[in-house]
Amino acid sequence: MTVAPPSSTGRELSDPPTDGVSNIRFSNHSDHLLVSSWDKSVRLYDASADVLRGKFMHGGAVLDCCFHDDASGFTASLDHTVRRLVFNYNKEDTLGRHDAPVRCIEYSCTTGQVITGSWDKTLKCWDPRGASGQERSLVGTYTQPERVYSMSLVGNRLVVATAGRHVNVYDLRNMSQPEQRRESSLKYQTRCVRCYPNGTGYALSSVEGRVAMEFFDLSEAGQSKKYAFKCHRKTEAGKDIVYPVNAIAFHPIYGTFATGGCDGYVNVWDGDNKKRLYQYPKYTTSIAALSFSRDGRLLAVASSYTYEDGDKPHAVDAIFVRSVNEVEVKPKPKALPNLAA
Amino acid sequence: MPTGVNNLLSRMETTCGALLYELQIIWDEVGESVAERDRMLLELEQECLEVYRRKVDQANRYRVQLRQAIADAEAELAAICSALGERPVHIRQSDQNCGSLKAELLAILPQIEEMRNRRIDRKNQFIKVLEEIHSIKNEIYRSDRFASNGPAVDEADLSIKKLEELQREMQALQSEKSERLKLVLDRMKYLDSLCIVLGLDFKKIVGEIHPSLAEAAGSKNISNSIIEQLGTAIQNLRELKIQRMQQLQDLTTSLLELWDLMDTPIEEQQTFQKFTCHLAASEDEMTEPDILSINYINCVKTEVSRLEGLKESKIKELILKKKAELEVLCRKTHLIPDSDSAMEIAIDAIDSGAVDATFVLEQIELQIARVKEEALGRKEILEKVEKWMAACDEESWLEEYNRDDNRYNAGRGAHVMLKRAEKARALVNKLPAMVGALASKVIVWENEKGIAFTYDGVRLLSMLEQYMVLRQEKEQERKRQRDQKKLQGQLLTEQEAIYGSKPSPVKNHSVKKRPRSSCGGASNRTLSLGGPTLQTPKREMPPSAKATPNIRNSKKNEIINKYRPKDDGLAPPSSGRRVVGMAGHPAKHQSPNLVNARQRESPVVRKPFSSISFTNSSKTNVTNTLEDRNKRHKEKLHKTQTNNKPFTTPPKTISIAEQENRTPQTMGISVASTPSTSSVPVQTPTTPPPLQTTITPVPSTKKTVPEEIEYSFEERRAGFVLPRSRLMTVTQV
Repeated sequence: MTVAPPSSTGRELSDPPTDGVSNIRFSNHSDHLLVSSWDKSVRLYDASADVLRGKFMHGGAVLDCCFHDDASGFTASLDHTVRRLVFNYNKEDTLGRHDAPVRCIEYSCTTGQVITGSWDKTLKCWDPRGASGQERSLVGTYTQPERVYSMSLVGNRLVVATAGRHVNVYDLRNMSQPEQRRESSLKYQTRCVRCYPNGTGYALSSVEGRVAMEFFDLSEAGQSKKYAFKCHRKTEAGKDIVYPVNAIAFHPIYGTFATGGCDGYVNVWDGDNKKRLYQYPKYTTSIAALSFSRDGRLLAVASSYTYEDGDKPHAVDAIFVRSVNEVEVKPKPKALPNLAA
Repeated sequence: MPTGVNNLLSRMETTCGALLYELQIIWDEVGESVAERDRMLLELEQECLEVYRRKVDQANRYRVQLRQAIADAEAELAAICSALGERPVHIRQSDQNCGSLKAELLAILPQIEEMRNRRIDRKNQFIKVLEEIHSIKNEIYRSDRFASNGPAVDEADLSIKKLEELQREMQALQSEKSERLKLVLDRMKYLDSLCIVLGLDFKKIVGEIHPSLAEAAGSKNISNSIIEQLGTAIQNLRELKIQRMQQLQDLTTSLLELWDLMDTPIEEQQTFQKFTCHLAASEDEMTEPDILSINYINCVKTEVSRLEGLKESKIKELILKKKAELEVLCRKTHLIPDSDSAMEIAIDAIDSGAVDATFVLEQIELQIARVKEEALGRKEILEKVEKWMAACDEESWLEEYNRDDNRYNAGRGAHVMLKRAEKARALVNKLPAMVGALASKVIVWENEKGIAFTYDGVRLLSMLEQYMVLRQEKEQERKRQRDQKKLQGQLLTEQEAIYGSKPSPVKNHSVKKRPRSSCGGASNRTLSLGGPTLQTPKREMPPSAKATPNIRNSKKNEIINKYRPKDDGLAPPSSGRRVVGMAGHPAKHQSPNLVNARQRESPVVRKPFSSISFTNSSKTNVTNTLEDRNKRHKEKLHKTQTNNKPFTTPPKTISIAEQENRTPQTMGISVASTPSTSSVPVQTPTTPPPLQTTITPVPSTKKTVPEEIEYSFEERRAGFVLPRSRLMTVTQV
């Protein structure tokens, strides 16, 4: 274990997962960081102190995780199971099962429900307060047009991105049918979807180095604001190489966002002013996941090969926690009009 | 002689006489002989004598005794007197010998009694004084050599002088004691004040020296060693105090500096006011309780380190701000800033503490100053360049305007346009002169400075040259067109002669503003967007010319460019450097499939952050260009498209397709293709290619499923395969 000096990549967490990182999430109440991995483990770190606070082993690779409160969390696993973890007692129990691996999981503070999306083309809502056992805790199952790839929550809105470039927008209070059925503005497979912190829309990234900024407001004025931009690309000898954009994380205060791609870069963007604010130095391998801490002072970066080129030798999986400078994330006022204009 | 005794004697004489007479009678009666009578009388007389003699002896002895007693008394008196140091007054009295011995004795006895009492009193006084002295000495020299034994009074010398002497000694001792006590108390008080200031436990420190000192009441130990120990304790604490004071003053100095540096608000300063007000205080002025305690010093220390951290980050921020300023400045002056990466490295170095932040700041400021200075020198030329560019803008506008054959149609704003065109023409005429003047100015500048004048990294001279070359080309083109037109005119007149009517000439090439609505239907107009005739000149344009305003040749481009982000990284094609780097690659973008390729080929390259609605229209455009091609390559295209992965077309496009009734239905099918691992480089295909990207999905899927199903990386990694029944539903969708 090397104690990394404060470097350009941020502080590396000791005792990282031994296989690909599937997701990382900061708690809403502290600087605790929940990490799910393909090595079948879920780890809880105290990110500011660099201490491993807890570790759970599952029956299969863990594809997603989220916090309930500071003392407990939920995980979605390749073994079709949705689990609840209680950190203090190192206890876990099963919330329920899907018919296929569970790809993503979210906990809604407003409804107190857990929402899971699976490759069995369904969404399921769970009430974690119910007694253990599927028949007690399952609230509802909602069919999706395709396998669920990514999900994001803001307030009562739930955005579900599936294979086949479908995007469904739900109102958590009425899950019987989607509030909006959409198609991705991007032409390629959706990698990640994240709602704006202000609840007006969502950002969606694809495997072809592009991010679309969408808005919920269906009026013409509302829709005219949407746009897409290219990122995480490289020009080499006249050829463009495009990389998948694996992760999007919004800054909780400024509403700016970071994207991470298979090129190993993390970029920070100002969506309102359509500007790139910052690019962090390159990481050794793909950026698998990103998360800002609740106050936006810390950014956790999972540098972990995401299997985009199949099974091949790759750099070790690592999680970096970097303290975020305000300059890097604060929106700048629009630049001076270009002189030639 | 008292009469009573005389009477007794006379009575005794009578009784003696009577008894003698009685004896005479008896004797007469008895008839005693005279001899007997005489012997008897002698015997009587002898016996009487004997009695007398005994009595005299007795009296004599008594007298001697008395004398002895008197002498003894006198001797004692004398001894006492001498012991008391007084003159024996009574001896003189005895010389006078005023009375009998008994009287004398009686006179002496009370005197003796009195003297004895006096002596006892004196002795008691002595004892008291001596005891006092002893006790004081004991206190002072307690732990030292002074052995404690009771006071011994010298009986022989109890004189007042001696007493006074002793009393003096006692007083001296007493004053010494009080002095010492005062000293001890003073030192303790001082110690106490030191302890308060330093935030130490006074009782503990004093208790270590001697337990008795810690008690509030009770006698204090005032021995030499205690005083000495107190002294050393005070010395130690003072040293500690001075040391801490130094520390605190150092800290407050840096605190004040930091405050000053960062304009810390008064409220924040208030909490530390009591430290800072002691900045200039001397040692004795530091009296506030706990002001020098470890806690407070630590508190100040943490504040200082906090502020230092703040300063560090502020400086970093400042550096970044300065950097931004530098960038803006460079952008304004069209200079290429010094290697960005060097700055990044510098900032990283600050993070790691390898380089002093202020040094970097200085460097940046220096750089800014340098750029500013340089900007000043460039200003004149830059102004000219701007003028030139504005003129170029107008020129291109004019060109376009000239191409519009409806330009003379009376319409809204037509007269304004006319006026503008007039002005533009005048301007264009002046252009060569302008360029010439600019070039000569630049040459002078370059000769003067000895470096090349760069504009956004490109040498201005070469830009000008290219512009001139381009202009010449255009001139030739125009000439050719004119000739052609003439020819066409001839042809037309001939036709007219034959058919009678004159068809509207190049209406298809009419240039209009790009319709804002993305809906189809206006195929003619949108077609013009991607019209090949318009494309050509632009594509042939040298890259550096592209960096000049020529890129805004047409209105439509301006609209696009409106969305052009300011950040270099976001807008690769519009940045001069980037374009240079891509020279020789007219088709700059990869296109994973056919349609994409078409879209890219069109000059209207979708810029990052440009609105999606525009994409739609460009798709419309693409569809139309496709149509054109379809006429020729319909068969081929049809084939390739079925082979190729169909792409999703927004519904609007489909409607056009239906309207036009030409595009094959395959266009409508929407199974999005997976561009696979997109990190594989994708080249621009000239013909609709099969997907070049090397996807390595699960091989079995490829075999069994005729139409490929997309899988995410995770699914592929997990080996997740959709069951066959599901597959059917997918294909049905």
